[in-house]
Amino acid sequence: MASNNESAGPITWCAIIGITCMLLLLFKQILWLVLPILLGFVLYYLLSPMAKRLVLAGASVETAAMALSGTFLLVLGGWLLVMYPWVMANAEEWQSTSLRYLVRGSSALENILTGLQRKFSFLQNADLEESLRQSLHAIVSQFSGKHFSTAILALAGWLPSLLLTPLITYFLLRDVSQLRKFVASAVPNAYFEKTLYLIHALDRTARLFFIGLLKLAALDALFLSGGLWILGVPSALLLGIIAAVLGLIPYLGPLLGCALAVMVTSTDFPSATSLVYWVIGLFGLVRVVDDFLLMPYIIGKSMRIHPLLTLLMFVVGEAIAGVVGLMLVIPILGIVMVTGETAEVIFRDTRLRARHVFARRLRQRLDEQDLSN
Amino acid sequence: MLLEFVKKHFEPPHFAALREISLFAELSTGELRTVDNLLHQRTYIQDEIVFDEGEQGQAVYFILQGKVLVCRQGRPVDGVIAEISAGECFGELALLDDVPRMAQVRAAENCTLAVLFRNDFLNLLQTHSVVSSKLSLQLARLIGSRLRGAVYRCVV
Repeated sequence: MASNNESAGPITWCAIIGITCMLLLLFKQILWLVLPILLGFVLYYLLSPMAKRLVLAGASVETAAMALSGTFLLVLGGWLLVMYPWVMANAEEWQSTSLRYLVRGSSALENILTGLQRKFSFLQNADLEESLRQSLHAIVSQFSGKHFSTAILALAGWLPSLLLTPLITYFLLRDVSQLRKFVASAVPNAYFEKTLYLIHALDRTARLFFIGLLKLAALDALFLSGGLWILGVPSALLLGIIAAVLGLIPYLGPLLGCALAVMVTSTDFPSATSLVYWVIGLFGLVRVVDDFLLMPYIIGKSMRIHPLLTLLMFVVGEAIAGVVGLMLVIPILGIVMVTGETAEVIFRDTRLRARHVFARRLRQRLDEQDLSN
Repeated sequence: MLLEFVKKHFEPPHFAALREISLFAELSTGELRTVDNLLHQRTYIQDEIVFDEGEQGQAVYFILQGKVLVCRQGRPVDGVIAEISAGECFGELALLDDVPRMAQVRAAENCTLAVLFRNDFLNLLQTHSVVSSKLSLQLARLIGSRLRGAVYRCVV
């Protein structure tokens, strides 16, 4: 089995990283399908303990799967129905509020840069302020007409695809044992037990990763909301939750979350520049705790991936598939890693190979028996 | 409702072979269906090795058809420990613990085996308490009878 004392060699690791990169390239092309499947798996891992309880209480597997995924679909549908009129009624106000926050936020950023340029002479020569001002003005001027509507349209475009998620979850909850049997049936007898172990290990790795990620988001939401509340920032809970959800996107997400909090703070407290620094400090602190303490402990531990490799794979994932690559690289690496490690253990096991060859020879002899008679 | 009734009371043909297995003797049709969903059916050819002595055990095997030979590693002629026939099971200790196999098992003739993986059994303990308690009781009886047999052989 792929245990700690049977870790993969350098050739296997090269293959693992290569296959991860190829899968990222492929998934980038079929993202409309990959995303609902991924969300379906996350939902499956979240709901499977509840499904087990329902089955223990006497419900059949089908009923439990139907009840849970159906409830999720109903809650989601109900929420959308309730939200739709509210969103429509407030959309215009939100657009103007967002624009106001963006204008104030960009002017706060300009003020910070001006202050820095006054203090450090080498920044004055870099002409940083002017180029940043031009970029920010371009974003602000196009915000209402282009960026806001593009974001809303992109979200609406993803909705039909995301509605597949409860359906995928239902089939996973109902048929996961059949799926395992189907995969195992394709494996020769000699490798059968180890393959069953591999399937179990893959399942365990994915479960720990997805649940770990959600735990991390919950902790981030708690720390950020608490910190922002202590600092006196308005809507601290909402900002903390949004920033924690954005934080699921490695690197870019925390920056977006921090930028959002800075925009709100600088708009609501235009004269309190020190508060903006405190907010940036809070996000920095949470990031450091996440990256160096919680993430390697909760996620790195579940996948037994070295923190340095995790970091490098984030860079590689981003280079290959952008934000999508950042989000998908670690789950894909984890699954390919467990598969690769176990495949290496099976390939190295000369006894298993010999047994497989022996069984094939026996079957061939049986097939040819009546031919020689 | 009618479909549920039909599903519960009419058994697929391979259930007859499963009913012959002592571990499943006390299961109702619905309970047997639950276990059947977890069983992997495998066919082995005469002389094919099912598992080796010292190999990490992950599953228990039930013989649906044919016979297997339990022997010392690589000694199917002079190291025979037992011959097990249809309706019996072997490797049952793997359900309880992650321990190495104590002997080699080979197919004495062409046979069909049903395999229950340990993690599936552990999941069954969490989801189907009645089924798993019936299986556990039968498993305890089986291990008890094998222990009695071993003690009897030592004494005699």
